[in-house]
Amino acid sequence: MLNLNDLAQFINSKVPSAAAKVNAAAEAVCDSAIEVAPASILDVAKSLKDNSKYPFNVLQVISGVDYPDHIEVNYMFANFDLNNAYEFTLKTKVKNKNDAKLESISSVYKAADWQERECYDMLGVTFNNHPDHRRILCPDDWEGFPLRKDYVVQKVYRGMEVNPDAKMNWGDREFAKRQEEITKAQTKASKK
Amino acid sequence: MQGWDVPGEKIEPTRTVETEKLKTELLTLNMGPQHPATHGVLRVEIKTDSEVVAHAIPHIGYLHRCMEKHSENLDYRGVIPFVDRMDYLGAMNQELGYVLAVEKMLGTQVPRRAEFIRVLVSELQRIASHLMAFGTYALDLGAFSPFLYAFDEREKILRLFEELSGARLLYNYIWVGGVWNDITADQLARVAEFCDNFEEELKKYDVLVSQNKIFMERTRHVGIMDADMCYRYGATGPVLRGAGVKWDLRKVKPYSIYNEFEFDVPVADGDRGATIGDCYSRYIVRMKEMSESVRIIRQVLTKIESGPIMGKVSKVIKLPKGEVFVRTECPRGELGIHLVSDGEAKPYRLKVKSPCFTHVSMLGEVAPGQLIADFVATIGSIDIVLGEVDR
Repeated sequence: MLNLNDLAQFINSKVPSAAAKVNAAAEAVCDSAIEVAPASILDVAKSLKDNSKYPFNVLQVISGVDYPDHIEVNYMFANFDLNNAYEFTLKTKVKNKNDAKLESISSVYKAADWQERECYDMLGVTFNNHPDHRRILCPDDWEGFPLRKDYVVQKVYRGMEVNPDAKMNWGDREFAKRQEEITKAQTKASKK
Repeated sequence: MQGWDVPGEKIEPTRTVETEKLKTELLTLNMGPQHPATHGVLRVEIKTDSEVVAHAIPHIGYLHRCMEKHSENLDYRGVIPFVDRMDYLGAMNQELGYVLAVEKMLGTQVPRRAEFIRVLVSELQRIASHLMAFGTYALDLGAFSPFLYAFDEREKILRLFEELSGARLLYNYIWVGGVWNDITADQLARVAEFCDNFEEELKKYDVLVSQNKIFMERTRHVGIMDADMCYRYGATGPVLRGAGVKWDLRKVKPYSIYNEFEFDVPVADGDRGATIGDCYSRYIVRMKEMSESVRIIRQVLTKIESGPIMGKVSKVIKLPKGEVFVRTECPRGELGIHLVSDGEAKPYRLKVKSPCFTHVSMLGEVAPGQLIADFVATIGSIDIVLGEVDR
């Protein structure tokens, strides 16, 4: 079992500017993580890959989460080694949402290439020195970043109306609205 | 393949015809989005030098349905049908992965019988999914009849699932806290019968396809993804095991009740003259996995206990504030669910780590130097489902 405190100390000893600290989960059922300073992410990734004490040979996924005042980017690292298997989540917080920037780690982990593209596509985090910095799931000329909480779908795309009224299933919408009311009523009842 | 001088990126077309100088250049060709060999709506932009692929750039997103955005507006139970629709060929396994993440945060105790049924349906689904991979892969390489044999068996599994859940592909069967519907003794007997028949069928597939000379020539030494490359890209599942790495989450980090069953993890060993990590290795790993799944199903049938199938879950599911990252072994690789909750009745963020997304990203590195026909064999061998890639 990986001890996150030891690992955070190890990261700090390798990369002093990382200021790694453990974000302990409030509830026992949830996962804890290590948070590092955004500017140090490339150095941290390098030190995680090339060391003998905590070798992490696989970057599994990069998952961005949009919060009201910052964007949190989660890197899930793992060691695919039968005798020494462990994994952990590395977090970094990008404060400036209008100009969110991080250093790309795709030179260290090739897996980051597409994962960072998806993070950019969905949350608008720009990755410096990325070899192929384009959108991946949405069209290249799509506006906005869908997984931001304040995202509003554009009205017109290339002269085509997005979500035209004639093609919307209004029955479903009314059904969803009713469901929401029922859920609210149930929540109230369960509180009592 | 050996006789070809593989040009890679340094192509200098300087062929001259005596009478006139002909200019030759790389031809850009779009494979897809609607191409039968790409198993869905994948577009691969390839630059070809005659029959050899010089560059390949996969373009995805044609099946993007904003599943992650949708799930932020649904309650935790309402997400399950959306999870089904990601990997429509391995829906039970996807449901299990998502439900395990919710249950981990909720701290639900799942009844024993429900756990057995979950393992049973996910292993049956694994067989069904691998049968689909087997059938369509043979179809890609020009053999039609294996497809029919595979669908014959797959149909039996789908019939059972239809009786269990009311749907053939998108089940909404595994629920938070247990499963929706109990399995009857008659159905269990039919599963046992299926297992007996299926082992005979597997022998037939082995003689018909796996040992087929043409099939072997088309797949051996083609599209080699070695262990180092798999680690760099983070590949999992049959692709990683096909590269000779004995890595299976059901063994390494058992979830549900997989620690109670005996089974092996098949890896590629270069048998029958294959190179470790080539298309044939990945194919043969899937074939061996099916018989391991049968082994697990047999153990479920003897060990299954009677009892309730649904644990105690409140009507409105509210998870504590926090996040989890749960991984499960799906037919195509490791599914990771990153679930963030802010304490409300809806997920704050649901990020799905799709195995196929990773595998498709490897195509760009494997393709240069391959024949176009071999590239088709490579795409087929990683067994992608685009619904899961694009989500």
